[in-house]
Amino acid sequence: MHSTNTSTKAYLSDTGTPLCVESVAMTFSHSSNQRTLDPRTKLFLLLAANLMLFFHVSVITQLIMVVLFLLPLAVAGRWKLTVNFALTYAVLTGLGFLDPDALGSPWLHVVSALAVGCTMMLPCFITGAYAFTTTSPSAFICAMRRMHAPESVVIPCVVVIRFFPTIAEDYRQIRNAMALRGIAAGGWGLLRHPAQSLEYILIPLLMNATNVAQDLSVAALTKGLGREGAHTSRTEIRMRIVDWIMMIVALIPLALDIAGVIH
Amino acid sequence: MTASNSPADNTIQTSNQNSGKPTESGKLEVADLITIGVFAALYFVMVCVATLVSTLFTGGFGSIFLPAIAALISGCVYMLLAARLGKFGGITVMGVVIGLFLFISGHFVLSFIASIVFPVAADLIARAGRYKNKALLLVSYVVFSYGLTGPILPLWFMKDAYIASLQARGKDAAYIDGVFANINTGTFFISMAAILVCAIIGGWFGQKMMKKHFIKAGIV
Repeated sequence: MHSTNTSTKAYLSDTGTPLCVESVAMTFSHSSNQRTLDPRTKLFLLLAANLMLFFHVSVITQLIMVVLFLLPLAVAGRWKLTVNFALTYAVLTGLGFLDPDALGSPWLHVVSALAVGCTMMLPCFITGAYAFTTTSPSAFICAMRRMHAPESVVIPCVVVIRFFPTIAEDYRQIRNAMALRGIAAGGWGLLRHPAQSLEYILIPLLMNATNVAQDLSVAALTKGLGREGAHTSRTEIRMRIVDWIMMIVALIPLALDIAGVIH
Repeated sequence: MTASNSPADNTIQTSNQNSGKPTESGKLEVADLITIGVFAALYFVMVCVATLVSTLFTGGFGSIFLPAIAALISGCVYMLLAARLGKFGGITVMGVVIGLFLFISGHFVLSFIASIVFPVAADLIARAGRYKNKALLLVSYVVFSYGLTGPILPLWFMKDAYIASLQARGKDAAYIDGVFANINTGTFFISMAAILVCAIIGGWFGQKMMKKHFIKAGIV
């Protein structure tokens, strides 16, 4: 049930027969989705968004950068997310420019200041959402390996990504079992006895987690995760021209702002 | 067919050797790393729950109490990991993985530093008690909980940037001072103290749960 650790040479057992690994790899080899950027570019965009926080950039730079960050999100087909972020940014920026004194209601200062604070954080959230929603686990792992992340960090990351759906599934079943016994039923039932809810949900999750950890270890070791040397990947990632252009274009407004050209 | 079968057999054999061997050596092996991954996933879910709760309760500057709430609820996860693994490096790796996921999900990049420094310290403290001494484990959990302060540190360290961007939008200085009367060293210490208290309660709760469920079930 939990033998889904397919990031390395694992496809060997997916086909059921120990075929020649190389030929399988050739047949099924596919590059990651053409319409998203390379994971490393996404990482760069995240860093750029963070730099914007460091060097408190001007409103114009912020606007340019937000548009730049929203562009790949739209290209990747995440329309709803893009529109949501664009609207949020527009509303927050508008609120930030409110002049409460002119409107005669000083309490609006709080709203306005909060809006400015949220606007500053928004580029980070946009790039974060982009990285999170458009990167396949295998592309992410492949990128980490390429960047020579130590195996002791890569393997837990594989497991974390693979384990999230299991947690969601377990949680649903635990809640069903609790409902069957009439514990914490209804919308606010969980909040009535927080410590009890925590115990009743977390303990089964942990019990299961220890079992899953053992299952996964056996499965992963069978699939050669523990082997020395370089691991191949079904997913190919490579820096395309679009990636380089995106990185350079994102860097220009930032550099200009830090140099003081844009105010 | 026989020729193509033998490599697979070899793999299984070697893996059996790896997993069958009791992991007594001090080094982290693949099985340990997978255990860490599973617990890191659970811990990350706890952090997400804490973010949700914290945002609901405190509104805009929601994440001030994020580390405290996370510390309150994830004691069980930490204690079970420490007991299951019992070797140096596990807590550190979990902290690093959490930091990585926080960064990718759009948190402040400096949070990464906090989520390396504090877990290493926590790991050292827990090792001093051989991952069995309850008091030291509790202390180590408290230290580990400070690793989550990364996402909220900008509130204090980015204050100047925030003020500058408020001024750029034409807010007057007196008003800005008024806003930041709340976000000062006072709230910093309150937030840090909240982490301390919550981590002690959470860690104690975790140890109680360990005793009640896992030791009886023979998992630890």
